[in-house]
Amino acid sequence: MSTDMNHIACPQVQENLILFIDHELASPTDYQVFEIHFQECQPCTQIMEVERAAISMMQELLRRSCIESAPEELNERIQEQIDVLSAQTQVEFFSQTTVTEITFGEGDSFQITHEVTQQYTQEFRDDT
Amino acid sequence: MCGVMEKNEDSLAVARRDSHSDLAVVDLAKESPAQKKARFERDALQYTSQLYSAALRYTKNSHDAQDLVQDTYAKAFVAFHQFQPGTNLKAWLYRILTTTFINTYRKDQRRPQIAAGELEDWQIHDAASHTSDQGRSAEDEVLDNIPDGDVKTALAGIPEEFRMAVYLADVEGFSYKEIAEIVGVPPGTVMSRLHRGRKLLRESLGQYAKERGFNKSGDAK
Repeated sequence: MSTDMNHIACPQVQENLILFIDHELASPTDYQVFEIHFQECQPCTQIMEVERAAISMMQELLRRSCIESAPEELNERIQEQIDVLSAQTQVEFFSQTTVTEITFGEGDSFQITHEVTQQYTQEFRDDT
Repeated sequence: MCGVMEKNEDSLAVARRDSHSDLAVVDLAKESPAQKKARFERDALQYTSQLYSAALRYTKNSHDAQDLVQDTYAKAFVAFHQFQPGTNLKAWLYRILTTTFINTYRKDQRRPQIAAGELEDWQIHDAASHTSDQGRSAEDEVLDNIPDGDVKTALAGIPEEFRMAVYLADVEGFSYKEIAEIVGVPPGTVMSRLHRGRKLLRESLGQYAKERGFNKSGDAK
């Protein structure tokens, strides 16, 4: 087995076979290395093809069997719940009053009072 | 109603801001509750069947599965402001579904905990060697004819962690990394669980096939 970077040994290929099949190898270079190995190594190619076929057959079987439609009742329940949650979201109006008060001296007093009332909104939801 | 006493002139400047000042913030912040609801209905509700299918595999019964999906959507709706538009909404919903299931629906169910070391032992060549020494095509043909109900039963018989990994990878097509985020474990653990789960499922289906008499010609050479 050559030792240059484009070549890896059979055990390495077989240990990481699933990553290759699942498209989970770390980089495009890794795929090239695997492809090069498969071109040169019949036993590894065969193992890979058998495993890949087994996995894809299992996937087809599972997808065929496990895909179901949500019952209409469930879709209705979800919609109702969203409507309820949405209605519980209240926009409340808050007001904040800022008073600026400037006072000078004693006795002969001089006073400026400035009062501002601000209103703003805040979204609230009853989460309980 | 609260009053704030201030001796600072800045308060005047603040007071002068008009009520539309928060328009300056991010898109999401200026989205009205009605717009957010519409966006949720448009983007999230298309996954009810998929989530229900997954919930059925998690809970193993329709009643709990429906409750789980409903809870999932309630949580998702309330937390929708945390979802980053443009990222994977389906994976986000699956994460809520899975976390809700783990935290709520299986609480009463005492399961044996899998030791961390044990998981690492499930290596890939395990699965590879299992298949390489037998004729697959005959078995494939047999498995192809297994009724859906038997496939579901076989999947239901696999321990939860493995079942989830297999379902998320092989039915939903999530990547290891996505599954890791959905389930809340490292990607390496996902890989181990997936391989172990596939192996168990394969064995179980083979067994079902045999019991149902699909194994016509002693084909496991």
